Amino acid sequence: MQVYLPIAEMSVDALLLVSIGFAVGWLSGLFGVGGGFLLTPLLILIGIPSPVAVASGANQTLGASVSGLIAQWRRGNVDAKMGTVLLVGGLLGSAAGVQLFGLLRRIGQVDLAVALFYVVVLGTVGTLMVMESVRAILRRRQAVRRRLHEHLWAHGLPFKMRFRKSRLYISVIPPLLVGFAVGVLSAVMGVGGGFMLVPAMIYFLGMPTAVVIGTSLFQVVFVTANVTLLQAVQLGTVDIVLTMLLLLGAVAGAQFGAAMGARLRGEETRALLGLLVLAVAASLLWDLVRPPERPFSIGPAL
Amino acid sequence: MPQTEEEAAAPARRDRVFLVVVDDSPEREVALKYACLRARKGGGRVALLRVLEPAELVEWAGVGAMMQEERREEAEKLLSGLAAQVNEMTGTLPILIIREGDPRDELLALLEEDPRISILVLASATGGGGPGPLITALTGRYAARLTVPMTIVPGGLDDAELDRVT
Repeated sequence: MQVYLPIAEMSVDALLLVSIGFAVGWLSGLFGVGGGFLLTPLLILIGIPSPVAVASGANQTLGASVSGLIAQWRRGNVDAKMGTVLLVGGLLGSAAGVQLFGLLRRIGQVDLAVALFYVVVLGTVGTLMVMESVRAILRRRQAVRRRLHEHLWAHGLPFKMRFRKSRLYISVIPPLLVGFAVGVLSAVMGVGGGFMLVPAMIYFLGMPTAVVIGTSLFQVVFVTANVTLLQAVQLGTVDIVLTMLLLLGAVAGAQFGAAMGARLRGEETRALLGLLVLAVAASLLWDLVRPPERPFSIGPAL
Repeated sequence: MPQTEEEAAAPARRDRVFLVVVDDSPEREVALKYACLRARKGGGRVALLRVLEPAELVEWAGVGAMMQEERREEAEKLLSGLAAQVNEMTGTLPILIIREGDPRDELLALLEEDPRISILVLASATGGGGPGPLITALTGRYAARLTVPMTIVPGGLDDAELDRVT
């Protein structure tokens, strides 16, 4: 069933979009991730223009993260103060990212830039994930290396603030920087950034793991809302038909994923996710380097 | 050597174990106190069960492992704090059990596996929202799977009242 997407200016099979939404929603329910980092490249691969794919990815992540945030908030797992500091960085970062995106679009390099970003980030993340799970599969359940209360260089910075829930007394500069970096990524790639934010919060900021997921969702929800809004207002790239179809599938998929995730546990599943991420990165890379079927095409001048 | 019924019963009473489920409800304190008082006055020991939430799947294995580790450490800290309380009240250290999974399933599995436990002590919630999920399950659909007697302590009892009924 073909539908015409008014902003993307193309026709796509509606069922294909719903099933992409379902698959991504299923994964996000399973892993508690936003799913933007899979959705945006999938949309690019089926031929949706990058700007529209990025905006829709951010929007999808927003939808997937809100219910997670509410659940975590009820259980008291959100450090609102740390979340707000991260968010300030995130809002600045996403605003800067949208400007960067607009600039890339004006010079006509947005497709290349987005694809490159994805190849680099997904390639790195996928490799790390696969390596980590292979290691875990090889020597099941060995003692985890304990993290002592270490003092990094980051602890010497000024503007210290006390974060009661995270049991931290640190400078606000590192969380602002982390928030900013993830905000830029969010705007350019259409991801929530949870997969980078979570390790950064644990290893770099030293937050306790109990509040990490909730606090990262707090940041993700507001930053992706900001990205969607800015993309819609400044660049006009949010396609409502596309988004509705994707969300339709995603809502159903997330329910299945969450139900399965409660029972599944395992390095194998994680390794599969890593392989999936790598596969997406590889196909984007292939798209970049393969010789085009037709080196140039002739069309009416616009 | 003639033995009265009372003497014969004494070692058996000392061997009994009161199991208290350590959750995050306010009435946990009442159940714990009741179990301690019974153990002190009538003999027996207290066992504490803490059920950890199973790990959610997170995308990074290291993060997941660290989460589980921190949860376990927190449970150990909580249980050792309560163990000190129990020791003060009864004079013996409690049996500490940590399990991972769904609280109801783990409790039933433990009762089945561990023959030492003789009585399950639960306290009911004081609000209007029912007695609490465990009591609801164990007096309802899962009643048939219970292998030991269960004592339900009203969550609203204060210290004097607890003293009177034990």
